[in-house]
Amino acid sequence: MMFETLFYISLFLCAAGCIFQWVRFRRAGLMFKPASSDRFNPGRLYPNPVNLILSFLNTIFQIRLFAAGKIRWLFHFFVFAGFLYLVTVHAFHQVTAVVLFDYYDPTVDPFQFLRNLFGSLVVAGCILFFLRRGLRLRVNQIKSNWGSHLKYKGLVSIILVFLIVGTGFLLEASKIISEPVFMEMVEDYSDLEEGDELEELKLFWQEKAFVSFDPTVPADPEKLKNGQVLNEVYCISCHSDIRSSFVSCLLADLMSFYGTVLNQTRVDVMLYRVHYGLCLALIVFLPFSRLNHIFLIPLSIAVKNQAPKTHHQKTAQVFGASLFACTNCGYCSQVCSVYPHFQITGNPDVLPHSKIETLKKIADKHPDVSLWGLQKGNNACTQCNKCTQICPSGIDLQTLWAVTHRIFSDNALVNNQTFFNRILPEAWADLETEPRMLIARQELVSDLIEKTDAFENCIQCTICTNVCPVVEYDSKDNDYTPQQVMNLLRLDQKHLASGTRMVWTCLTCYACQDICPQKIPVTDIILELRHLGGVRADAVKLQQTVKKRVEIS
Amino acid sequence: MKLAYFPGCKISFYLKAYGDSFESVMKHLGIDLVRLEFNCCGYPARGEHFEISVFSAIKNLAVAHKNKLDIITPCKCCFGQFKHAVFWYYKHKNLKTKIDDLLDQENLSWDGSTQIHHLLSFLYHEIGLDTLEKRSVKKFSGKKIAVQYGCHALRPFSVTRFDHPYAPTIFEDLVRVTGMVPVEWPKSTECCGNPILEGHKALSLTILENKFKSASLAGAEYICTACTHCQMQYEMTDYESDIDTHGVKPVLFTRILDAAFGGKTVF
Repeated sequence: MMFETLFYISLFLCAAGCIFQWVRFRRAGLMFKPASSDRFNPGRLYPNPVNLILSFLNTIFQIRLFAAGKIRWLFHFFVFAGFLYLVTVHAFHQVTAVVLFDYYDPTVDPFQFLRNLFGSLVVAGCILFFLRRGLRLRVNQIKSNWGSHLKYKGLVSIILVFLIVGTGFLLEASKIISEPVFMEMVEDYSDLEEGDELEELKLFWQEKAFVSFDPTVPADPEKLKNGQVLNEVYCISCHSDIRSSFVSCLLADLMSFYGTVLNQTRVDVMLYRVHYGLCLALIVFLPFSRLNHIFLIPLSIAVKNQAPKTHHQKTAQVFGASLFACTNCGYCSQVCSVYPHFQITGNPDVLPHSKIETLKKIADKHPDVSLWGLQKGNNACTQCNKCTQICPSGIDLQTLWAVTHRIFSDNALVNNQTFFNRILPEAWADLETEPRMLIARQELVSDLIEKTDAFENCIQCTICTNVCPVVEYDSKDNDYTPQQVMNLLRLDQKHLASGTRMVWTCLTCYACQDICPQKIPVTDIILELRHLGGVRADAVKLQQTVKKRVEIS
Repeated sequence: MKLAYFPGCKISFYLKAYGDSFESVMKHLGIDLVRLEFNCCGYPARGEHFEISVFSAIKNLAVAHKNKLDIITPCKCCFGQFKHAVFWYYKHKNLKTKIDDLLDQENLSWDGSTQIHHLLSFLYHEIGLDTLEKRSVKKFSGKKIAVQYGCHALRPFSVTRFDHPYAPTIFEDLVRVTGMVPVEWPKSTECCGNPILEGHKALSLTILENKFKSASLAGAEYICTACTHCQMQYEMTDYESDIDTHGVKPVLFTRILDAAFGGKTVF
């Protein structure tokens, strides 16, 4: 009765946790609300049947994971298949096995054997899992520490699973060796009283089934034979040969050394409580643990296939829930097209698996987040779709990166082109930047604007301006022409030059450069001015985000 | 003949038709395309971060070098970026040292031997017009077409060595193989507007519209592209309904060629 009450309390807590999480997902999704101009469609889920079936098959067989990594799939499948069997057939046997099989009893084969088989699969999978973590064989741990901050993510659930199955085996073993359990069963299933027959049955179970009796029943071949007959009469109909529970027998054999002590303290009762308690803990913990990916992955896949392909029509809950379907496996970052960007800058938020973590932190209003790093990192994304294709969780990363810029809209963190559209070159040139904020300083390797000989020969002939498509089509908005930008450099006004619209709307078509009679690398200089402006703009943006954070705290 | 296929980032999601028709054309010509684990060519980082842009490109070349293959790309921005990166890699000793160190960490190295081909220059120089002429079983005689060269392969000439930066001819010659008639078009070497699509959309689309107009005045039915970004820019008409195309349709060169070779493409 008490166990049942506890079970319903945990179910209730689990449901409450699910509601809490759903609200959290929604809040995360709403971060990607576009700026006022286009209307935001919160969206509804209408998964179509084909996608649902595919999604279901993926949940059972982890097809996407198989495509990404075979070895990882193998031991993931060990844990999953084993635990799925144990949950359905063993834990909830009253609503599954008992209904389906009229001969069901936990102690009858094949159930006794299968329970051990699937349990050992889970244990094997868990051990491989721990080994992989310990030996740093995870994808995102292999390369130069780029997943080190995610080292302990998702450990709690796998430890819980391991403990549940582990205590399960110990429980079964402690019941096997238990004299009190044996006596209870004799009372329930036979009409034997104290006497010779009971002694014979005891002897049989002591010799053949590891039960530890106190005092030990003296061996006698004749009695053993009689015991076997009694076993066939009373026990065998609903208790198969104990040796089919091969793992527990192994443990029972070991435990029988301390059999008397263990039986006196009723260790089996204790283990039952622990085992049951851990299961309840898992239920309560389910919405918050890594295990929630079992439900979130099908959701994110179904929704990804369902929702409209155009970016601006995606929905709030989609992103919210699919953000949390991420299991930090790191396959996305392994194939990321802009991985060299990370190699040079060391900014982890270039890489997809790290960006997801940062986005989750932002959704939860975590104070320790570098919005600036995320903005820089996400700007580098080339929308190559590789991460989306490999993601075992089926998250629509492609769309996610395309809308990530929306969370910066009320911050100073816009991309450089927008940044320079909002500020006049003259104001930009006068803007003070705190030197300590120039942490984004990059070596200006090509050095054209620092060496006067690159541009000093400009004769202001305006040929560059005449061939420039930007000047031709944008006469209204454009400020300086290419030859004027060159002249600004000759006047030692590089900061002013780096803030001109000309520099930031340049198409980089190189028409000016190849036609210049003075062989001035006009486009290369403009690109370098962008670089220079970008470094200072980063410092300004960083300054503003820091200020904002100070104000908040 | 074996070549490392460098599709670039955009083809797999935004322009599958280009990738498919490119592969089909190469198959017809007996070229074996090998897919390696490439990263971004570095073009998007040009002007953002010089080192990243050069390093990204050289890393790809090193990956190709490791597999003893030359690179072919259908994208002109990727092609131009490779050439650009090689140019600066040799020009700056410090940069070269830094990149070599980074490559070394991943057991890669590059000695400059890897050849970089663009689709057009490869067809023109390595395959030859005669072979293409012979293979074209279907001719589109009399169809007038305007060719879009694409800036980053053409210029700066001293770096890319693709064709004459203002009066190129190879694309026209290649189009003639299929029986089409290339028109005289003043804007064939001008930018399509794609690089500033995100930063300055209005200007980008104005440039695009003017290209359609000018091609139509030259009497062209189609604008032919051989660059991922150019084609994506012309296909903006699918999303922006108020762009006047003047009845000119953008078409990928590989799709014409595939159709001419008797491939699956219906054109």
